[in-house]
Amino acid sequence: MNYQKIITEILILAGISGVLATLIVVAKAILQNYGECVIDINGKRKVTVKGGGSLLTSLAEENIFVPSACGGKGSCGACKCVVTDGGGPVLPTEKPFFDAKELAANYRLACQVKVKNDIKIEIPEEIFNIRKFNGKVAKIEDFTYDIKGVTFDLISPKEIDFKAGQYVQLRSPKYGKVRESVTRAYSISSKPSLQNQIQLIIRRVPEGICTTWVHDFLKEGQEVEITGPYGDFFIRDTQADIIFVAGGSGKAPIKSMLEDLAEKGCNRKMSYFFGAKTTKDLYLTKYIESFCDVFPDFTYYPILSHPEPDDNWQGRTGWIMPYFPDALRDPKNTEAYLCGSPGMIAAVTKNLMELGIPEDKIYYDSFV
Amino acid sequence: MKLSPTDKIIQDKMKPGILTANGFLGNDKRNFRDIIADDMKIVNSFDKSLEDIANRMQYLMEKSFLSYDSSIVVDKNYEVEYNSYRGVLLSPFPNAGRFGKATIKVTNLKNHMCVVWTPLHVHFIRDFGFFEGKGSKFRIEPEILYKAIFD
Repeated sequence: MNYQKIITEILILAGISGVLATLIVVAKAILQNYGECVIDINGKRKVTVKGGGSLLTSLAEENIFVPSACGGKGSCGACKCVVTDGGGPVLPTEKPFFDAKELAANYRLACQVKVKNDIKIEIPEEIFNIRKFNGKVAKIEDFTYDIKGVTFDLISPKEIDFKAGQYVQLRSPKYGKVRESVTRAYSISSKPSLQNQIQLIIRRVPEGICTTWVHDFLKEGQEVEITGPYGDFFIRDTQADIIFVAGGSGKAPIKSMLEDLAEKGCNRKMSYFFGAKTTKDLYLTKYIESFCDVFPDFTYYPILSHPEPDDNWQGRTGWIMPYFPDALRDPKNTEAYLCGSPGMIAAVTKNLMELGIPEDKIYYDSFV
Repeated sequence: MKLSPTDKIIQDKMKPGILTANGFLGNDKRNFRDIIADDMKIVNSFDKSLEDIANRMQYLMEKSFLSYDSSIVVDKNYEVEYNSYRGVLLSPFPNAGRFGKATIKVTNLKNHMCVVWTPLHVHFIRDFGFFEGKGSKFRIEPEILYKAIFD
């Protein structure tokens, strides 16, 4: 008798739970069905999307690729755009990325804004030039123990237009223990005229999801997804002297710039400082030195901070900064192009400004 | 310790392949709350608080940041090697901000104790007393950390 009662009560409870669960599912479908929403872009173009997704992914589905170095996780801040109407309140996850001026100007992170209704946004016109490419790995080269050069053939579309110094985003798939696909930004190291192929130089980041995939899992012949080009790191069309400073994989955009300038011709005074710890961290040295024969006034300064006795290093040692004055003849008429780790960018920017190079003539990748 | 619904989300974010390739828990079978509770027993035996430890880590980290990704000696006793990488990491804890990708290796020149941490750890330790799970690549043993940065 007692068993019957217990079973009946369990069945009643299960029935009530089932009804409640169904109600929740139905309510969710009704309440979270935002229908079709219109995204008005710059007051010039309108796209209709299915509501409910993030602004970033909704735009991507319409082949409008707002930069995002973290794949929409809200960690990079690269997908900043202006939402003038319909974006809802700014989320706590967005606030650390904006100062008061930007908040007042309606800046938002596209990955954090959910499209629930019609929405008006403003994005730079250059974003319309960003496309999604399917590519195939043509070649993987070991440049150092933690840096690889990876060359991709572009399959569809077959060609890319970019400025030397710009970057693309590479998508890594699920692999091993990694359960989510991620996208990460890498500078293009090949020249723009080679339109059907791009090369990236990728340094392994300890515990990095995408770089671990590139270094340990990616194989020649494998198909990949790339979006780009992004960024405003490119050579300004002036006659000012140039100082390039790079470390690690920061050699990538500088290589692209030098190859591009070599094709176009350049008489500007150029000095390239590459900082590394030991000879194990040097790569493409002879190739970069070969530009001394291409340009009338080009000097390459590889500098080792901690050469080992076995390195038999006869070149410059220590930090790179003390060598800058050797290359400077008119700081006010000098542009600096930096690419490397945040530590390097911070140290070098501070030093170059102390030497008199105007802050607005010091350029570096915005995604560091 | 039983995990709250919010804790379960945090625990999931600490697993491999979510925020980092191998996650923050290593091969530790304990949940992160238990890991914290066990490590706090050790920290509570120190004459320094979590705040003191995090402040010290922050100090050494900031001193070495402008070293052009190299090593410098701080206060004549700590060799600090800073290696930074492009990009930022999110904390698995909610609304905790973002942290630069870097490794900071500190070697105490007197006792030769050596520890490696990332900017994320300063937040982990200051705000939660989390030193990561056993077997995690960046697990910090509290005793070693103490001896490396205070002795």
